[in-house]
Amino acid sequence: MLSVRQIVKVFNKGTINEKVAIDHLSLELDPGDFVTVIGSNGAGKSTLLNSVAGNFPVDSGEIAIDGRDITNLPQHKRAGLISRVFQDPMLGTAASMTIEENMIMAFKRGHNRRLRRAIGSRERALFKEKLALLGLGLESRLTNKVSLLSGGQRQALTLLMAALQEPKLLLLDEHTAALDPKTAEKVLDLTSRFINGANLTTLMITHNLDHALAYGNRTIMMHEGRIILDIKGNERSNMTIARLLEMFEKASGTHINNDRMILA
Amino acid sequence: MSTQVWLSTLEQGLMYSLMVLGVYLTFRVLDYADLSVDGSFTLGAAIAAILISTGHNPWAATALAFIGGLLAGIFTGILHTKFNITPLLSGILTMTALYSVNLRVMGKANISLLRTRTIFSDFEKIPFIGSHGVLALTLATVIIVGIILYLFLETEIGLALRATGDNEMMIKSQGVNTDIMKVLGLALSNGLVAFAGSYVAQNQQFADVGMGIGMIIAGLASVIIGEVLVGTSSVARTIIAVIVGGVLYRVIIAVVLQLGLEPTDLKLVTALIVILALTSPALKKKFKLKNPVLSGKGEN
Repeated sequence: MLSVRQIVKVFNKGTINEKVAIDHLSLELDPGDFVTVIGSNGAGKSTLLNSVAGNFPVDSGEIAIDGRDITNLPQHKRAGLISRVFQDPMLGTAASMTIEENMIMAFKRGHNRRLRRAIGSRERALFKEKLALLGLGLESRLTNKVSLLSGGQRQALTLLMAALQEPKLLLLDEHTAALDPKTAEKVLDLTSRFINGANLTTLMITHNLDHALAYGNRTIMMHEGRIILDIKGNERSNMTIARLLEMFEKASGTHINNDRMILA
Repeated sequence: MSTQVWLSTLEQGLMYSLMVLGVYLTFRVLDYADLSVDGSFTLGAAIAAILISTGHNPWAATALAFIGGLLAGIFTGILHTKFNITPLLSGILTMTALYSVNLRVMGKANISLLRTRTIFSDFEKIPFIGSHGVLALTLATVIIVGIILYLFLETEIGLALRATGDNEMMIKSQGVNTDIMKVLGLALSNGLVAFAGSYVAQNQQFADVGMGIGMIIAGLASVIIGEVLVGTSSVARTIIAVIVGGVLYRVIIAVVLQLGLEPTDLKLVTALIVILALTSPALKKKFKLKNPVLSGKGEN
């Protein structure tokens, strides 16, 4: 499905701030894989997602989806294959536009946009039906501006939009980190329902080790731009948070000094 | 004020509101401070004036003025998207370059259109319209342009354009090439501005190389006045607000002139209107200054 081969990404190359964010990283995802990604701050998790999404070109290596090389494809051309939910709920939707307008934009992801009226009664009926899945009452607020919604509602909407036009690959970048715990649980539940419902291949970054093991079928741990742990199957189902931390220390050769990761 | 003054104020206001619709497209829809407007307004007037004064069809001249504006907008857009020049500087560069271009187009600093055939003189020949030709044609144009703009902003491409100004990152991840959207928005905006310039030149029966100076601020003042008074709850309402703002701005100017100020004081008055609108807390609240261009807080 997703095939990442030996990619390298260096920021601020040739300056004193040079930082190797991704260091010859390779990763193969099977169709339907739901992979959780963990690692301390600066491990390269977001850089990996951004490289796959095409926010910037990688310095070397190859990225392919379903055998199609997308390494040199600009972001907007990858959008037909990939959809994303960002950490910041404000980033996933256009605030000054209505719920239905946001949804039609996501519905057209990867398709040609034409000079014809965007929303008709057929689309409206579809959006109502989909919004009802969220259980937030948004189906009766199609023409409300998104700026009127709470962060949790916006993130749920973004998630729905990401799954509206079934992507080959779904990228979730700590998409519940900015929400309060209760809302975060709700959005995560929706996430796993959508992913399991459509059998979406997914990469999900999380800082919550509980979530990392509870959701998905495979977990990878990153450190200094490399994957230092990749578990699935029995090994993963027998894994505990304490052992995960222990393995992190062993594999990375450092002690964890990241409160966020310990406390999560 | 006499009925005559009111009438000509209304006519001018409607003409300028075509320009204001263009400014709305960049400042509001694209969230892009485009200063090319000063140059493209004159460009429209210059193209129309030189063609009409040399005996060409005024309708064709007006259409070419629109196309000239489109090209100016595309130029600004390419400076910004392809060469990564900041929005402000791209606009200033186009505006500066256009000053010379406009002089070249006109061949001299001003062109008289007295007693020539214009789109207005054509319209006045239609039975029953007669002396109301200017008002009838301008009103019809504003209504048609307003409706077309509204319909456009509700199309799939129109939504992508609006989203580019609202949340570029989001619409990029939905597969839209935002560079193309920006060029498209700038082209349409400057096209409308130049179109307005050609109307104004034909109405006042001359074109002058300095007639576009301060146009961007006048456009901005009009957008603000309209938005504050009419509101922005939907796209249709905002478009109406922008047109109303354009007309009201001319009314304010007419009143100021009646009070005895010189026409040369108008730029100062316009600047004061914008400063007032941007600093008055009550207006600020109502206006919800989320726009980085206007709130002076820089990008994001």
